[in-house]
Amino acid sequence: MSLPLPPASNLHAVLLVTKSRSLGPRLVFHYPPLSPSAAALAANQATTWFGNQTSTGSIDSHSSSSDWDSGTENEGGEDDIETGSRTSGGRGSGRTGASHRDREKYRPGGAGAWGRQENMEDDDTELDDNGLDNRSKEENGDRKNKGGDYDWNTVLGFKVDALEKMLCPSHAFNKRRFELGVESIAFVGAPMFVRDDGFWKKKRRKKKGKATNLDLLEKLKIEEKEQIDTSDVKRSGSIAMEPFDYPQGFEPGYGHGLMSGAASGAASEAGSDTRSTSTTDNVDAPDMTMFNVVFVLNPPALEYQLRVQEMYDNVTRKFAKALKYEQARSQYIWKESKNIIDIKQRAKDNNESVSATWRKIINASPLAKSIAIMFDAISNDKIAHVHFDATFSTSFQIPQQDSIPYLPNALEPQMPGLWLTTSNVVIDDNNDAPMTQHAALLLLEDAETLVKELEGDAKGNATALAYYIRAIVPTKSLQKISVTHNILAQDMEYIARHLVYWRRARLIAPLHPRDTYIVSPNADMSALQIAIPSYATRFPTLPSLPKVLSMLSGTPRQFRYFIPTNEHREAYMEILAWLMRGGWVTQLRTFAWVHVSPEIKATVAQEMEHEALLKKAEDARREVSDNESLAGSLFSDKRSSFLSGGRPPTPLRRTGRRDIDDENMDASTILSPRTGPWRGSPARPSSDAGSTSSNRAMMPLSSTARPASPALSQTTSGLQQSKLHRPSPLHLKTTSPSRPPPPPSQKFSPTSPSVAPVPPSPPLPPQNFTASLVFAPQKANAVESRWLEKIGQSFEDQETRELWPVLLRHLDGKHALEDMGVREGLKRKRVAALFAAVREGGWLVVVRHW
Amino acid sequence: MPTRSIKSIFFTRFHHRQGSRVLHQVPEGSITNSTAPAALDTPLFDFESVTQYLIPKQDFCDRLLTFCTNHHRVIGYPVCVREGKYYRNEFIFNFAVVVGEDMGDWVSYAEVVRKLGRLLRGLEEQGGFLSREEGGSLEDDGGGQGGGGLGLGMLNGNKAGSKVYALCEMVLEDLNNYAECMIPIDDSNTINLKLFPTHPPPPPIHPHHVPLLTISLSSLTSPISSDLTLTRILPFINGIHSVSHIAQLADTDVSLTRKAIQHLVYYGCLVLLDIFTFGAVYAPTAEMGWFVTDSSVQEECARYVAVPQLRFGREGGGSASTNMVGGGGGGESSEKKSRDERSSVSSEASQRSDISSTTNATLNLTTPTSSGLNDPTDSFSASSSSSARPKVDPETLITLYVSLRQGLTLKNWVLENLSLLHGIDIRRFITFGIIKGILYRVHKYAIATSTFTSPATRSPATNAASTIPPSIHRDSDQSTIRGHANARHLSHKASLASTVNIFATHESTSEVPFHGENDKPSGGLPLVKFLDGMHCFDEICTELGMGEQVVEKKVKGAGEVQIVHR
Repeated sequence: MSLPLPPASNLHAVLLVTKSRSLGPRLVFHYPPLSPSAAALAANQATTWFGNQTSTGSIDSHSSSSDWDSGTENEGGEDDIETGSRTSGGRGSGRTGASHRDREKYRPGGAGAWGRQENMEDDDTELDDNGLDNRSKEENGDRKNKGGDYDWNTVLGFKVDALEKMLCPSHAFNKRRFELGVESIAFVGAPMFVRDDGFWKKKRRKKKGKATNLDLLEKLKIEEKEQIDTSDVKRSGSIAMEPFDYPQGFEPGYGHGLMSGAASGAASEAGSDTRSTSTTDNVDAPDMTMFNVVFVLNPPALEYQLRVQEMYDNVTRKFAKALKYEQARSQYIWKESKNIIDIKQRAKDNNESVSATWRKIINASPLAKSIAIMFDAISNDKIAHVHFDATFSTSFQIPQQDSIPYLPNALEPQMPGLWLTTSNVVIDDNNDAPMTQHAALLLLEDAETLVKELEGDAKGNATALAYYIRAIVPTKSLQKISVTHNILAQDMEYIARHLVYWRRARLIAPLHPRDTYIVSPNADMSALQIAIPSYATRFPTLPSLPKVLSMLSGTPRQFRYFIPTNEHREAYMEILAWLMRGGWVTQLRTFAWVHVSPEIKATVAQEMEHEALLKKAEDARREVSDNESLAGSLFSDKRSSFLSGGRPPTPLRRTGRRDIDDENMDASTILSPRTGPWRGSPARPSSDAGSTSSNRAMMPLSSTARPASPALSQTTSGLQQSKLHRPSPLHLKTTSPSRPPPPPSQKFSPTSPSVAPVPPSPPLPPQNFTASLVFAPQKANAVESRWLEKIGQSFEDQETRELWPVLLRHLDGKHALEDMGVREGLKRKRVAALFAAVREGGWLVVVRHW
Repeated sequence: MPTRSIKSIFFTRFHHRQGSRVLHQVPEGSITNSTAPAALDTPLFDFESVTQYLIPKQDFCDRLLTFCTNHHRVIGYPVCVREGKYYRNEFIFNFAVVVGEDMGDWVSYAEVVRKLGRLLRGLEEQGGFLSREEGGSLEDDGGGQGGGGLGLGMLNGNKAGSKVYALCEMVLEDLNNYAECMIPIDDSNTINLKLFPTHPPPPPIHPHHVPLLTISLSSLTSPISSDLTLTRILPFINGIHSVSHIAQLADTDVSLTRKAIQHLVYYGCLVLLDIFTFGAVYAPTAEMGWFVTDSSVQEECARYVAVPQLRFGREGGGSASTNMVGGGGGGESSEKKSRDERSSVSSEASQRSDISSTTNATLNLTTPTSSGLNDPTDSFSASSSSSARPKVDPETLITLYVSLRQGLTLKNWVLENLSLLHGIDIRRFITFGIIKGILYRVHKYAIATSTFTSPATRSPATNAASTIPPSIHRDSDQSTIRGHANARHLSHKASLASTVNIFATHESTSEVPFHGENDKPSGGLPLVKFLDGMHCFDEICTELGMGEQVVEKKVKGAGEVQIVHR
């Protein structure tokens, strides 16, 4: 299992590259405007990425670092660079004696460069990468030492023209993952090519647009639709949305009204004229043939695959698809690109600074703005809400875990503050109904904050959504909420999933005063100093946060014991919700397995042996009766009694049995699969035969003796029997050593009718058995289910006996007993009583953890 | 290291007339179509569509350049040698390796490629290792034919004599088979390559961590490191001493000790535990389910926690069987040892953890099954005294583990379960749980809720804490360490033998007196910085060199403080 890692996108830049017939490959836009050079990024990572370089070759690493440094000093051979930016091919004429080193000049110094470059804009005039400086100096003759802010020709330390060529892959990469690694820097993109017919989307028959009846969930769906469409996973029913491929000019105006309030002002005009031109543009041979949004990452070596994959699946690909949709609809990218290129060119001609120009571009172009938003959010592991234009907006994120099932040890990556629980672990049982309906939704922000956020986002349906959100309480399951507030269960679940996906809420087991909560071992203690005041403002009159945590620190107790009075109940539950939200506490859940005692095993083994013998006897009898019919009358009496003996034998019958028990001792122990180390080989073959036959014999019995059936008399008799058996080991101990073990092979041979009068089997000494656990009662084998059944029969309480099979389903160590009530529709108290009763009997091994 | 993960190695170079050309490829046909007899039918990917990444613009030369295509990851290191002797004064080549796209640790291959690229550049610059070879064939041939196909044909013919082709072949085979290779090039040059797995960066080591070796470093013949700190501290790493204690015992600097231990962690020879005391609280984690259901772990645990002395005493008191056991002991002990070494991290580590006792013990330690097998007469005694449990019952182990819980100190837990603890080394029992992740230590934190919170009062306090203590710190450290050593030793031995009467002795007695004198001048001040809830009691005790009870008393005296267990 790979270790779960804390979220870290390692995103350092976003680039937009286009390839057009008129301009060729073009790096249209990059964000942030002043990015650290790739070399600096790589160097910044030295500890993790090149952790083994010291061992692979220290000389190499030395020489490289000296290159790194000397390169920054290098002033020679600059001539070709100015020309290089335009005439990409004919370079290198002046460069004869220079070593490879001068090509490294754009690499600034070591790890320190990263920090300094970030502040470049402010005061860093003495840049470490003189190469950049020189170039800009030469190009903008009058400007000296202004550094990267006037450097129009490098991005990430690479010359723009080289970079844009590299990022324009061949058509083979269409819609594929584009992944280019330069040292430890990964360029991840999803290149989109225009179709051969000049369109960006396959022409499809016009689909009947869904009438824009403002369904209550419309707002959500709009955010979600990108998800759904791009991932090509159509969700069922109400969630499924129209794909993006409306024919040009026939957009059903979907969402126009919804989004108008939110879109940026600059976008509206651009949006309107693109719409008018889109139909005409598209028909002509398109100028732009490809675009590629490239995300620049520097993940640590060991996380490389994971981070790149995450970025590509969740952000890069989806973003590219959304852009392609926009491009298909309105030539969005190309228009915006031309606009951006224009602004850049003008600024460059006027020698304006990069950062100022970038501000201008971002204000003028919604595309640039969306890239900037994207970068800012994703690089901080947040959710990016991107407005492409007035009519279309969507959100992107790299999903994060909201809980972990186990506590990282000192050697593993720490994720303090993450909710520690196993309740989200999917148990791969097919018969497990999803718990969503039984779970409660814990909002991670206050309902009002959330509502306000929504109102800012959308108009029409916000009130309805607000109604939903205000209805959500962490103490009630979704099912209950939907019943009390008369909300459709699917709607409720949909909202829940949506809120969970967008990190607004978590699904938890409903908070309840009768549940037990402990201070989470994964609580983020470093957040405590901030949390204390915010807690204090929230709950000014109640015990302080340290006090509450201290209260929950001791021996685990049900939460209700901490609530002083009934009036405090609500407030304390709110505190609990607050604590849950911050990952301060976690629920202590109870898991259990059935513990099978040797006595039970002995009893069952004995019964099974008896049945086996019975069956043999019957076989033998049948054989005998076939051969000599007169013997039939002799056996008929016995036979009837044995048939009734299929059930647990009554105490009366038992008495007669004891005198003959010696002979059967061996055979019966063989039947048990878990006897101690065996003491003799001759029994092996017969044991196999015995167990299979016993299985067959068992089937009819289990159907009659199933506790669910109202065979009360039978079960009580079983109970009595097992009680009577308890003292038997004492009795047997004395007898067993004295008896001579007869060869079992003879005894079972069906050919000798002398065996036919089957002696009732003796109680077996539990010493021959060791106690064991049943790990999965649902998948118990034949013997195990016999044990379980036997245990069930031993309960004196009628109700316990009835509920035992129900309880059994949860005794696999994977299902928390706390969940049992809602799953089975039982009252909490009843479950508790049942559990206590069974536990009292010593039938359970119980462990409590999160 | 996954075996045979290199799919292909190829050497490509830019030809001024023919463009990017694949000169050598192993196996044949893996990059471009080949007519060689054993060639692959179809190339691994389309070479033409990726040439720009193999022979890139000069900006991208002399650095690792990787790309993914057709589910393969191509790791290249394009090199551009600029010298007047070449046509257009440059010679661009790339010696690239193809691995699977989703290979986890491709970085180790990248390092090999980088090294190889640099070496080849050196060889080329020295004596034209690469260009000389094709000088005769390719240049002339290229000039004459102009087409790539025939040039390749020529090369195929040449292949037998090509050193570069041989290099490709050897690197591929050796790295795939042995993960390393040594290829002599000429009199003065040898290529040495090795795949080094990438390790995650080690976590920070705190003074209150307790390191425990997972491999027996003492059994290595050569010294593992020339690091003096490391060699000094190694004997003291035993799963009982904390890092600061080790530093004291080995007389090394604490920060250097931490560094050295960090190195051991980096190479995976060490796990970190917590300080074992009977006042500590442990509780099961969600992994407990795994322990309960997996009988092999239970067996491992039983082996690990069993008290060897107990057997020894029993056998000594027993009848003639002692001799037999002693006789068979030699062979069995070695068997036992080897099994231990194989069995698991923890049991190996356990051997080290108490060398003195185990070396004695292993000689006498026999498992009844093996003794039963070895001499038949012994089976009598084994069966008759079946109550003498050789191994701890798995059921008991489970019962004991699940009975640990939050809010229950080890001391009280022992008292509750005294009858079950017969023959179980409690410290090892807990350690096993921690190592396997089925237990976690419930740490104790103190949070000051009043008096010290205002920054004005805090700053002098922290100053004082940083300036005054060193002398005190040192003194008390010294003495505490002695005290600690005593206490630990006591408690450890006690946990082996009788479990009852040690509780009174642990720590407190030996430490109270000197704190009384030492702490008067500083008062409660050094404590303050620990009361923000980010420092567990282990840490506070280690830093201050005081026992837990003393610290707790002082903490409670320091104002309104809440104790939180986490």
